[in-house]
Amino acid sequence: MATQTKPQSATDRSEAFKWSMVIDLDRCTGCEACVVACQSENNVPINEESAFIEGRAIQWIRVERYWEGEWPDIKARFIPVLCQHCENAPCEPVCPVYATYHNTEGLNVQVYNRCVGTRYCGNNCPYHARSFNYWEPVWPEDLRNQLNPDVTVRSRGVMEKCSMCVQRIRRSTRSKTPNDVPDGSFDPACVQACPTSAMTFGNLNNPDSKVSKLQDDERKYHVFEHLGTAPTVMYLKQVDTHGA
Amino acid sequence: MNNNTLIKIMVPAIGLSVALVVAAVGYFVLQSWWSSPPAVLGFGDGPTQPIAFPHTTHVTDAGIDCQFCHRQVSTDEAATVPAVAQCLFCHDFGRIDGKKSESDNAAVELAKLYDEGGNPQSVNWVRVHRLPDHVQFVHAPHIQNGVSCTTCHGDVASMEVVKQVRNLKMRDCVDCHRDNNAPTDCATCHY
Repeated sequence: MATQTKPQSATDRSEAFKWSMVIDLDRCTGCEACVVACQSENNVPINEESAFIEGRAIQWIRVERYWEGEWPDIKARFIPVLCQHCENAPCEPVCPVYATYHNTEGLNVQVYNRCVGTRYCGNNCPYHARSFNYWEPVWPEDLRNQLNPDVTVRSRGVMEKCSMCVQRIRRSTRSKTPNDVPDGSFDPACVQACPTSAMTFGNLNNPDSKVSKLQDDERKYHVFEHLGTAPTVMYLKQVDTHGA
Repeated sequence: MNNNTLIKIMVPAIGLSVALVVAAVGYFVLQSWWSSPPAVLGFGDGPTQPIAFPHTTHVTDAGIDCQFCHRQVSTDEAATVPAVAQCLFCHDFGRIDGKKSESDNAAVELAKLYDEGGNPQSVNWVRVHRLPDHVQFVHAPHIQNGVSCTTCHGDVASMEVVKQVRNLKMRDCVDCHRDNNAPTDCATCHY
C-alpha cells in the first residue's frame, strides 16, 4: 500500500505533546458547569440520588465542597476533582489486563474493551476519580439523540474515568505536528464550559503555552503530593485577601 | 448380511459423519471468530439493499470518483452516504417516469425513491461495514495519508452488490498501522 506522506510515529508524538491541566481555585465558584459539560460530552450516565447514597454514582469530574471555620467566620471551599492523570499512577500497575496505561502524550488511558471489571484500579485511586458501571446505562428516550457519537457508551461491568476529552485531542491533533496545534485551539468540555476560566488546558511541552507558564506560579500544588503520584493536573491554591 | 456385519459397517460410518459435521461446524465457528465467515451459504455476500444501487454502473461505466458521492471522507469521521437530493443531480425529474431512463432497471429502482405524493424519500441503506461500538474509526486521516479506498473496501467499482472484503478485525487494523508507521496507541481508536 502506498503512502504519500510519512505518518508520524508514536515516538514523534511523545516528544510533541504532554497534556496538562491547571485549575485555579481562586476562580472556582463551585457552579458545577464543568460537571454538566463533562456529563454531556462524554456520555456519562445520569445518576439517581440513590446512586450517590450507595456510592456508585458515575462522575468523571465532581466539585467537592467543604466548609472552613465556624459560623459566622465560615468559608465555602470548592475543588473540582477529576482524574489527575498521574505520571506514577496507582491505578495502572494493579490492572491485571492492562486496560489502563499511560500513553505517550501523558494521558492515563482507560481501554473499555480490555476492562474486565475487577475494580482494582478504582480501589487503588486516592482521588476517587474512577467510576464503575454497576448497571447498564439508560438514558431517557428524548436524550438518546444527544449522546456524543465520538465517545463510546460504556456498558455494564466496565470502569470509566476522565479521559481529558481524548476525542477532542484526537480530532484536533490527528496527523498534525505541535506547530499546527496552537495553544488554546481546543479544550476539554470542562475547561470550555468554565464561566470563570478557572481551568486551563494545554501542552506542557510547549514552553509558550498557558499551562507551562503557570508551572512557575507560587500557588501551584498537587493534590496528595506526598503520595508521589506526580499528577499532571495541577491546582492553584486559593488565597484569602482578607485574612484566613 | 447379519447384524454383526451391519454394526461393524454402521458404527464407523456414523462416527465418521458425526466427526465431519463437528469439524465443519468447528471450522466455521473458528474461522468466523478469528477472521470472517467462509463465503458459503451466502455468508460472503453483501446485504440486499432497499434500492439496487450498482457501483459498477456509477464507478466503472460512468467514471464517477468515490468522493463525488462520499463527500466527507477526506475531512470527517464518516465517509457519509449522499442524500437523495444528490442522486437527483444526475437522475433528474424527467427521467423518473421511466421514459428517459437509460434502462428499464434504472427506472424501476429510481421510482422507489419517491413516495405516493411524488416526493423523494431518504433511503434506509443496510449497513455493510460495521465496527464494534468501542472502536472510533475516522476516515479522514487515512485518506489524507494516502490510503486508497480499495485498501479496506476492495474493488467496489466492480461490485454489483457491495460486500465486505476484509475482516476489519483489530489485527487487520494494527498490522496495517505497524506497516505504515501509524500510531498504535490504544487511545488512537479506543476512547
